[in-house]
Amino acid sequence: MSTEQGAIAKIWNWRITAFCALILLAVTIAAVSFGPISINFFKVFKTLFDLPGGSTGQDRTVILQLRLPRVILGALVGSALATSGAVYQTVFHNPLADPYLLGAASGAGLGATIALTSTNHNLYGALPIFAFLGGVLAVFTSFIVSGKFFADPNSLLLSGIAVGSFATAIQTYLQQRHSAALRPVYSWILGDLTSASWSVVAWSSIYIAIALVILFSVAKQLDGLMLSDEEAYSLGINPKRLRIIAVAAATLATATAVSASGLIGFVGIVVPHLVRGLTHRVTNRSLITIAMAGAAFLVVADLGARTLLSPAELPIGVITAFVGAPFFLVVLRNRRRVSQ
Amino acid sequence: MTIVVTDLTVRYSEKVVLDDISLEIASEKWTCLVGPNGAGKTTFLKVLLGMAPYAGSIQDHGVEVFNNHKRNVAFVPQNPQIPQGMSVAEYVMLGRSKREGWGNESLTSRAYVHRVLQETHLFGMQENLVSHLSGGEMQRALIARALAQEPELILLDEPTSALDLHHQISVLNNIELLKEKGVTIISTMHDITLAAMFAERIVIMKEGKVLLSGSASDVIHSPELKAAFDNRIDVYTLDTGRPVIVASKDSKN
Repeated sequence: MSTEQGAIAKIWNWRITAFCALILLAVTIAAVSFGPISINFFKVFKTLFDLPGGSTGQDRTVILQLRLPRVILGALVGSALATSGAVYQTVFHNPLADPYLLGAASGAGLGATIALTSTNHNLYGALPIFAFLGGVLAVFTSFIVSGKFFADPNSLLLSGIAVGSFATAIQTYLQQRHSAALRPVYSWILGDLTSASWSVVAWSSIYIAIALVILFSVAKQLDGLMLSDEEAYSLGINPKRLRIIAVAAATLATATAVSASGLIGFVGIVVPHLVRGLTHRVTNRSLITIAMAGAAFLVVADLGARTLLSPAELPIGVITAFVGAPFFLVVLRNRRRVSQ
Repeated sequence: MTIVVTDLTVRYSEKVVLDDISLEIASEKWTCLVGPNGAGKTTFLKVLLGMAPYAGSIQDHGVEVFNNHKRNVAFVPQNPQIPQGMSVAEYVMLGRSKREGWGNESLTSRAYVHRVLQETHLFGMQENLVSHLSGGEMQRALIARALAQEPELILLDEPTSALDLHHQISVLNNIELLKEKGVTIISTMHDITLAAMFAERIVIMKEGKVLLSGSASDVIHSPELKAAFDNRIDVYTLDTGRPVIVASKDSKN
């Protein structure tokens, strides 16, 4: 492994990051090319980069107004979920931790259900806001319930589970009371990117960008949180403060992703494990790479959702779970083998 | 004297864990805290690290230690959090973060870690997962990380408690590597014989108080030592002059 004589190899190879960036670019262009109307790959490329010889007329509208915002939203949501998942796994010392762990998903689900079941139909348009507030409130409640403001990650985890169950109970009750809302609630829970437009991209990209910039800037220090608090402190970080920053930023990213696209499962678990497993590195130096891999994963999954049963659409959550659930079992199996 | 402890008291809610301790700890020496469970040894290490609050004063080179991130202190816990999926190379490289900044991968750092892995006989295992290491190897990986940190002071909590005799000696020899580099060592240890073999200074603690402290040979041969252990130990001297302390069998009257 030594590249230089008398020194160990570098921990992270940034060529992997560059490789992921290329894959993301390629799948983005591919995803814009494919759909009910097939458009030439090179024409799409020229249109996207505003080069001469690009598409015009209807094709141009399809590319720039329908497919591109949807692909970009998919990439934003994928990067948000994958990065938050990786951060949660680090903070909670739990390889199976998921961005929805602290009640973000159930809280957002409750918020969305309130919007969908309200007798005042004007609230439909406010669904993203309700979902966002629901998710953030649930996580905040978990913090308060766990007490001592996050002195111990395990107590936060447990209170997250309790708050999540509570929110789900109310959500189920509301759903039963308003059976007309069952279908929209259900389809929202499976997640979809059909509502993508430039305006959704605009507001969600702001919050996701803020969250990701914070997480990338503390990425290297996050490795210290894999140790005990005393060890982390001795290496020069304030573990309690860093945990709060990391969880707050990851929650912002998750809540934004959920309000823009519903509950898309498994991205937050599959992608970090894929990157870490293939590179044999758990370091959070890989966080940018994980974000790009998550973006590419969701763009491809959405491409499948749009085209497999074309012109009908599959919920994207079905695709991610179809790939994610077997993968999850493989991870569990390997863990069991390791612990034996 | 590097560390001067004055009237140190630590309470957890109402329980007094460390009770009015005043002590001086010598620089570049190995000081060993010995005492039964619940004596407050681990708490003492944590306040020396600067992470836990306390009443009284602990001055390291004339500066109060609490929340002082300028000191370079390595900490080796009794039960470390073992990061899942992390390789030995990544683990030991973490030690460089204090001196060179987080995520630093300079050639100097990597060369330093290379040397440390050789010194601790972990070279060749750097791509193994820390979660797959045996108890003795894990303890060496911890000490390798501490060596990579190039600390001024290292605190070790029961570094040998879970190891067999062979690994105990190998780990203690690795700790001596630190002393050769001029590092001040403070460790806790159950085994007073081992403590007397390696440490230069011994501090006997019980119920949050310091009962005895001084050079290893003074403490071992002090008549108060038996009293500190409720007269339940016997001290023998081997032909080589090395002291051996064993628990005495309860006499039934």
